[in-house]
This record gives sequence, structure tokens and C-alpha cells, in this order.
Amino acid sequence: VTASVSFPDLPSAPFPLAILRALLDRLIPSEDGFPGAVDAGVENYLARQFAGSCAHEATRLARGLLQLDAESFARHGVPFVSLAPSRQDALLGDLEKGRAVSSWPVEVGPAAFFARMVDLAHEGFYSDPGNGGNREAISWRMIGYDPRLPSSATDHASKAAPNAASRSDSGAAANHFPG
Amino acid sequence: MSANDDYYDVIIVGAGLGGGIAAGVLAEAGHRVLVLERGRNLAFDQIAGDHLRNHRLTLYGDNTTVDPGAQQRVFVDAAGHEHVVRPHEAGFNLNAFTVGGGARIWGMQAWRFHPDDFRMASRYGTPSGSSLADWPIGYEELAPYYERAEREVGVAGDNLGDTHAPRTAGFPLPAVPQSPTGAWLARGAAALGWKTFVPPLAVNTQPYQGRGACIQCGQCIGFACPTDAKNGSHNTLLPRALSTGRTTLTTGAHVTRITTDAAGRVDGVEYFAPSAPSVRPVASGGGAPPKPDYERRSARARFVVVASGAIETARLLLLSASSQHPNGLGNHSDHLGRHVQGHYYPTAFGLLPRGVENPNLGPGVTIASTRFNHGNPGVIGGAMLANDFVKLPIIFWRSSLPPDIPRWGLVNKQAMRDLYLRGTDIRGPVQEIPSPDSRVTLDPHMRDHFGNPVARLSGTTHPETVRTANFIRERAEEWLRASGAERVWSWPLERKFSAGQHQAGTCRMSTDPRDGVTDPFGRVHGHENLFVCDGSLHVTNGGFNPALTIMALAFRTATHIAAQA
Repeated sequence: VTASVSFPDLPSAPFPLAILRALLDRLIPSEDGFPGAVDAGVENYLARQFAGSCAHEATRLARGLLQLDAESFARHGVPFVSLAPSRQDALLGDLEKGRAVSSWPVEVGPAAFFARMVDLAHEGFYSDPGNGGNREAISWRMIGYDPRLPSSATDHASKAAPNAASRSDSGAAANHFPG
Repeated sequence: MSANDDYYDVIIVGAGLGGGIAAGVLAEAGHRVLVLERGRNLAFDQIAGDHLRNHRLTLYGDNTTVDPGAQQRVFVDAAGHEHVVRPHEAGFNLNAFTVGGGARIWGMQAWRFHPDDFRMASRYGTPSGSSLADWPIGYEELAPYYERAEREVGVAGDNLGDTHAPRTAGFPLPAVPQSPTGAWLARGAAALGWKTFVPPLAVNTQPYQGRGACIQCGQCIGFACPTDAKNGSHNTLLPRALSTGRTTLTTGAHVTRITTDAAGRVDGVEYFAPSAPSVRPVASGGGAPPKPDYERRSARARFVVVASGAIETARLLLLSASSQHPNGLGNHSDHLGRHVQGHYYPTAFGLLPRGVENPNLGPGVTIASTRFNHGNPGVIGGAMLANDFVKLPIIFWRSSLPPDIPRWGLVNKQAMRDLYLRGTDIRGPVQEIPSPDSRVTLDPHMRDHFGNPVARLSGTTHPETVRTANFIRERAEEWLRASGAERVWSWPLERKFSAGQHQAGTCRMSTDPRDGVTDPFGRVHGHENLFVCDGSLHVTNGGFNPALTIMALAFRTATHIAAQA
């Protein structure tokens, strides 16, 4: 998976993308027939958010990812990406409860960092593909959600309502509604 | 004609349900109308599909606010801490800023209030510390205007089942089709001896007034409608107003003051409007929001109608203080901005048993009961109960999984897969018991882009609201259990400031000027040509979604103005 928007680097290091991917794979794992966060392109959602609505959080969360790695070293002597999934899950379960053995930066507490990453991952996975994740509506097909919007909503609306003076999308009716 | 000497019969501030309907009635009666709307007229694709920025989930923005930096408020939480909040943030109490107002994106429940909703104090007494009062008009007075709203805006309903309020005409559109989930809930209610019916929705269940029918898409509430089957003023009375040739609609217009002449008589408004072409909304992240350039304008009229929603209507009347009215227009008796109400929304969640089909069709609300609106032991008032709208997957993930499901990992993912189509909930809008301390004032420090104080929201509802809400929550749980839900859970409600999309109460009507802001027609006491035309008028806000009552009052007030304008 290639992010179409690049991640913001930290002042002293590139964005820890490998750690992010390893985390995403535990937050929403892939199964046979049911892709997870990595397959669905959630990192693309995150890259877009870090360049937009969540720009103010990007550095803090990147530091959290680096600290996640430090936490893994402190506990097991290996980077997070090298841990077995069961150990990754155990470590993450501790962070969720605020339990850490390494010293996390004051502005990135383990529980708050983890909760935020959980939210972001699921937003990317379950929101509309237009937000950058949920590639080809993978998650929606998994759970049985279909927005059932007309393929061209505007065309559909203008066909369904040829006389509507109120249509603001296009056409003559738009003249009724300046601005 | 230059921008500075515009003269109209009527200026209407706000193009939502109240203002749009008033415009239609007044323009068709022959009057020249200027409608000033802060929002823009947005196309479907601007309010279409962002599941993180819509009026059901405003995580990173909403899909109607243009230039969010121009609109902020100060919210004072229950602990007394102040928060400067933007439209999409908690505490702002957003209703959609756009032509059509909240009805552009609403869920369309179009209820008549119960007759006893107009006489709450008479029926229950006024609890200590509350400002519970009767309306100065009764249901019978409003009934013909409810009927007109149902017909001219378009409401689909169940003529046989919906009997909580007497009616003399049928609904103009057949009720939405019952869903398998609704049928399952109907059986559960019947086992309890509760009557249910398909609730009234302002949706074209078949082509009506030149527009097509609902296609039961899976988004609905929070978004604009792809087939324009979602009825409001934006596709009925407002286009009718414009088609008379006597109505001017100016969007992006921020009204800053209602002006009065040397004698104190209202004679127009001052406002800012974009000097540049309109901009698109900030619908998705990235970059700074567009900032239109505004120019100062004024307009004069024989009548001014304020229809900006309970928060901004109160703010505008407060901002319009003059030497004759130093506390704001209509604030002669210190009621302006007080008694803020919305709806507490107790909700019970449950899981459909395996085998109950859920095709998950929009709009989604298909069954309701009005059994608990009144006459409940030990509590004041009550609420209508109904099932919920179609639910976006991300909203289901955030709020509707059983509480013991882990928040992440394989178990969470499997639960989403297994439970998304089995989740169901029952909820109801609780008639709030107003408090005079729940209020809108002008913030003493924070100013908007135009140099005027922003709305400051403070206080909480009365404790009796919370008691009723928890009673209703228990009834919602009872309904799900009786239906055979596999699991049932809910969350207790607590005291808080309540306004939001159902905001009401800040300009309560009264016969005696000492008891309220406006007279029983919405005319501001002491001002023969200044009217309010939105939920601000509601003395109490009913145990129902308030939109149809806002519409009925708008028809009534506008008809009253038209007769003398």
C-alpha cells in the first residue's frame, strides 16, 4: 500500500511508518477473506488527516509511535515490529490501561496515545472511502453496509424532479438561489 | 438602487424552516421580502458523503458551515469552565447553517405536539427552580396550521395509528413502509399492551409537488437528500417565495443589528454580506478555510422577522440594544435568552435475535409509541419513543457496540461484522423542564469576525428533566426486552446544558409582557413590527421532535403579519 499523501517527518527523524503499520495491523487485523486496516489503506487516511484536520496532532502521535518502539525495547529488547502478535497485543493492552515501563513524554501519555490511535484507525477503516481509507469500501462490504446512493446523485435528482424549482445542484433552478 | 437604500415590506433573518415558510406566505400575499441567510445554498454534493463531517457526526467539521472561523461561541460547562468552541465542537450546539437550515439534513420526523404539551404547568404544576409554564395558545389554535404544514411541506404518516393529537385531515402522503425490524418491535410492544404506529416523516414516499420519491438510501440523516425527497422550506415555501419575483434571498449574510429609529421603532437591519463570489464549504480537511471578504450593508423594512434559531435569534435581539431598549429588544422582563431547551435523548440499545431481517433501509425510523408522553407515575411529562435512523458504520463503531466488546483488535472487528445489522435502538426526545438559568447571553470578551460579542451558553436543565429522561430510558429498555432483544443496555443521563438541533425557548411567548418576550403571535412585546419565527417561541418544547411545531407557528405568524403588512 502506498500512501498518496506523504507523512510529515519529525524534526530529527522520518515519520515512523513501519511502526504505524505494525500498530494498525494489531488494531484492525486482517483475516482470511476479511482485510484489515493495512489492506484497507488506513495509513492513507492518516496521512491525509495529518496534512489536514489532524495536523496539530501529527508530531505528538509520531512521538508516541517512537515511544511504542521504545516500550517494546524496554520490555523485550526488540523493536515493536519484531514482536510476535500475541506479545504486541499484550503490550498494547497494557498501554490501553496506562501501564508502561518506559518513560513516555509528558505530552504523550500511553493511554491517551493508544486511545487516539484506536479512534483514528477505526475512523479510517469504517468511514467513507472519500476520506482516504476503507479502500473500495472494504469494511462496508464486510459488515453489510451500503449507502445506496445513485451513481450520479445529481443526475438522478434532476431526472426524478424535472420540475422542481428548488433544485440547487445545477440547471435553471440555481438562479433562484444566489450564492 | 444602491445597497444602502434597500426598502422592503418584510426582512426575514434566517432561511430555515421558520424563515423560509414566512417568506413563502408573505411573498405570496403580495409583499416584498428580503431573506438574509448566514449560510449558503449548498448543492447535494457539498452535503453528500463525508462520514466524519456531517450533522450526525461532526468529528472534524460539518458539511454545511462555510467560513467556520466567522462563527464561534463560548460554552460554559457544568463545572463552570469556559470553552471557546467552533461549530463542529462539543458545546457549540450547532444547527445547520445553510439555506433550508436544519431541514436540509434532518431526519424528517414531523410530529404534532400533544395537546397537553401546551399546558404543562396546569397539568403538572411548576417545580421549584424551574420556569415551567403553559403556552399562551392551545393545540386547537395551532391545529389548522399543523395541517397546512403537513400539506404544503409534505408529511407522510399513518392516518389510523397516529392519534395522540386530534386531526381533521389525513396526511398528504402515505406512511413510510414498515421494516422487518419495526414489525419485530411492534410485536414486542403489543405483548406489553402498548400501541404503536408508523411515525410521521416529512419525506416524499411517492412523487409530490413535482419532486421524486425517497429511494431509501443508507445515509439520510445528517446529509442532504440525493433525490430531493427530504422536505423542508428549501424545496417548498422558499422556492415559492422566490418564484413570485417579490423575494430577494441573500446568502452569506450575517445580520449584526436590528435597527430602530429615534422613537425606538424597528426600521431595518444592518448586516455583512460577501463582497466576493460565494465559496464552497470546508467539507474535508486540508488547508485554511476560505475567507470571504464581507462588506457592510443595511436594509430597511416595515416589518422585521427574526428566524435564526433559538441561540442566534436571542443573540441578535441582545445585540440590538438601543438607548430606549438598553438590555436588548424584547428584554423588558428579563426573559430574553433564558429557558433554553432542546431534547434529552435517552436511548436503549439492543441486538436483534438472529434471523430477524434488517435490510437497513433509510430513513430508518418506522415505528413509534406515544404511550409515555404524559401520565407517567412520579415524573413530569415524558417522551415519544421510536426506533432510530439508518446508522453509519463509524457511528455504530463509536456508540452502538455492546459495552463489553473490546475497542480494538480481532474481537472488535468480528463484532462489527456480526452485530452491525443486528444493532437496534429505541430512543425518545424528552420534554425538558426549563430552567431560567439555562441561557444565551452575550460573551463579555469574545468577539466574532464583525466585532460583535458571540453567544455565551451557560446553565443546565432542571433536575426534573433528568428524572423523566431516566424513566423514559427504562421504558425504552423494556420495549427492547419485550421484543426479544438478545441484549439490552443503556447509559444513565446526567444534568447538562441542552439545546442542539432542537434548540428552543429563548423568546417564549406570553400573553402578559411580564411573562415572556413575544405575544401569542410571536410579536416582540412593545414592538408592533418585530416578530420571532422559530423554536425560540416555544414555552416548552414538547416530547417530540419540534420541527412541525416550528413550521405551524411560522404559517400562523406569517399569516398574521400578512393581514396587516
